[in-house]
Amino acid sequence: MRRAVSPLLLVTVALVLADSAVVTLALPDILLHLDASVGQVAWVLIAYNLVLGLGAVPAAMLFARTQPRVFTATGIALFAGASAWCAVADSIEILILARCLQAIGGALALIGCLEQLVAERGERRGVASWVAAGVLGTALGPVAGGLLTQAISWQAIFVVQVPFAVLAVPAALAVRTEPQRVPDRHRPALRANVTLALMSAALTAALFLLVLLLVQGWGRSPATAAITVSVVPVAALAARPLARLLRPPPGVEIAVGCFLVAGGLVGLAIPPSSHLAWTIAPQALVGLGLGLTVDQLTSQAMRMRLPRARHAGWTIGARHLGVVVGLAILTPVFTADLRDAQQPAEQAITALVLDSPLTPESKIAVAQGLGDVLADQRGEVPDLHRAFATLDVDPGEAAAVARLERDLNEQVERAATLAFRDSFLIGAGLAFLALLTLIPIRRRRTP
Amino acid sequence: MSGLQRWIGLPVAAVVLVVGVVGVQLVNGGGTYEPLKPADPCVERTVTSRAAGIDALTERLVLLGVNNAACTLGVSREALTLELAQSGGQSSGQSGARSDARIDALRQGLLTAVDQMKADGSLPRASDLVDEALDSADLNGLLERAIRALPDSLIDSALKTDDVLQRAIDDLDLRELLGNVDDQDDLQQQVEVAVTQAVKDSLAARLRDLLP
Repeated sequence: MRRAVSPLLLVTVALVLADSAVVTLALPDILLHLDASVGQVAWVLIAYNLVLGLGAVPAAMLFARTQPRVFTATGIALFAGASAWCAVADSIEILILARCLQAIGGALALIGCLEQLVAERGERRGVASWVAAGVLGTALGPVAGGLLTQAISWQAIFVVQVPFAVLAVPAALAVRTEPQRVPDRHRPALRANVTLALMSAALTAALFLLVLLLVQGWGRSPATAAITVSVVPVAALAARPLARLLRPPPGVEIAVGCFLVAGGLVGLAIPPSSHLAWTIAPQALVGLGLGLTVDQLTSQAMRMRLPRARHAGWTIGARHLGVVVGLAILTPVFTADLRDAQQPAEQAITALVLDSPLTPESKIAVAQGLGDVLADQRGEVPDLHRAFATLDVDPGEAAAVARLERDLNEQVERAATLAFRDSFLIGAGLAFLALLTLIPIRRRRTP
Repeated sequence: MSGLQRWIGLPVAAVVLVVGVVGVQLVNGGGTYEPLKPADPCVERTVTSRAAGIDALTERLVLLGVNNAACTLGVSREALTLELAQSGGQSSGQSGARSDARIDALRQGLLTAVDQMKADGSLPRASDLVDEALDSADLNGLLERAIRALPDSLIDSALKTDDVLQRAIDDLDLRELLGNVDDQDDLQQQVEVAVTQAVKDSLAARLRDLLP
């Protein structure tokens, strides 16, 4: 059991931070299954990050007054129980409520796990492994969520977390540490936390928008999207060896990371087609940027600052409130752009149908089918295949109909890509803003 | 590794990577991957049809007519088509897809389309359409056989396709016609009535011209 303690605590940290974005690829399924609106479904993500962001510092303050192992075990148990509740939620309101509880448990677990890991592995290794587990969880969350949604269901995302968390409860109880009453000696690292918040907002743009573009805009399956976005965690892992090779000063490393994320987001805003290959290189830039910034910023915000739990709370708060700010800025922009893209898409579809090499009867049949699909799209990217699935046309026209369906789908993909462009560029702007926060401000000395 | 290299190594590598990725995307058309833009309806458009006979004539006439109307109204052909199609059960009025201005523009567009087809020689002669028209017409057998027996030259001198079409377009209640877009039978019946009346009027006018 002793050997399993650290790995189980690290898995818990990764799970709590993965939950920040784990449901991104499951949102379309949740929307359909719980008969929710796009706005309501966004709250499944926002609620978790908001509560985790706001709850981290109070959790750290509470930690100083309680028995560490009881505190940690309670947090993990609450997280596990709320995860199970998420899995059985039968309405969007219940799911959002369960996500809020999950985030409270997550905040307690993150703070508790940090102190337990330090107790187990020592200050340096304990903090470093806590930070690394968090970065890995953040990057792998959407991938894992997508694969589970495709292979089983959206509920599976929450079910699989329960056994890991349940096993981590005795692991947390096994670490005997005494409560440490450390006076509040240091102010929060403002610059590092602000940069971290802005980078989290930008990274939200990368992960959240990209999976939505892949699944909703380009009609790829959650599994395909999950495999595609796995480029980000892989590239994030490659960032460390690159930094070790070039040995830049920490400030340069963070600045370069911000620049790479901004460049990657600009690349994602302007793909030359909907071929998945065009997302690989921009994602690699984002992943490298993620790997160079988040752990460095987290370490900077916590280094030599006491009490450690309180400063960890500030970094968790900055990170997740950054995610909320990112979602708050981007969600209305891309939903409005998606709505605005409807008109050019419909006009392009109309032009292709009118000019298609089909008989007038077939054109009318296609137009009626498309009309039904477009009227039923509820602000989402329409699935035009429904209009063609039941189409009864002359066998001699089958090839032309198939070509028309392909051309129409391309127009929908073009419109969706255009609709996401501004949001990716705003994400890039947030990363540039993070870069600006790194510029040193010299205080004018009074003579 | 020197201090300078440590300071500039990673930034230079990052700039090369970002410029390379964004540059490759732009060179390959990144930034222009957008939906097809509607063509200017005022620019002459070649309209073809996969159908034959009356269906082909109707399709070309409607496509050219909508295009001409869109040009008059200053909107794209696609926008006007969608407006007309989506206004299925709307009441008429001074605004919206079936406002008087739109109906007038559509009627004028169809009339102009007839002239365009006559000018480019794509308007079929009346004799080319008679057999097909009789197949779907509800006439008594004797009259139908009599008309079929008429020589083409006689039919073509008695009936001019452009004249019949223009009369039919003038007669058609376009507002009601647009309301029946979803009901093919009603639509066909309404067009048939208008065309039959136009044929009668055209023949009557021809006879009047022959009388001293």
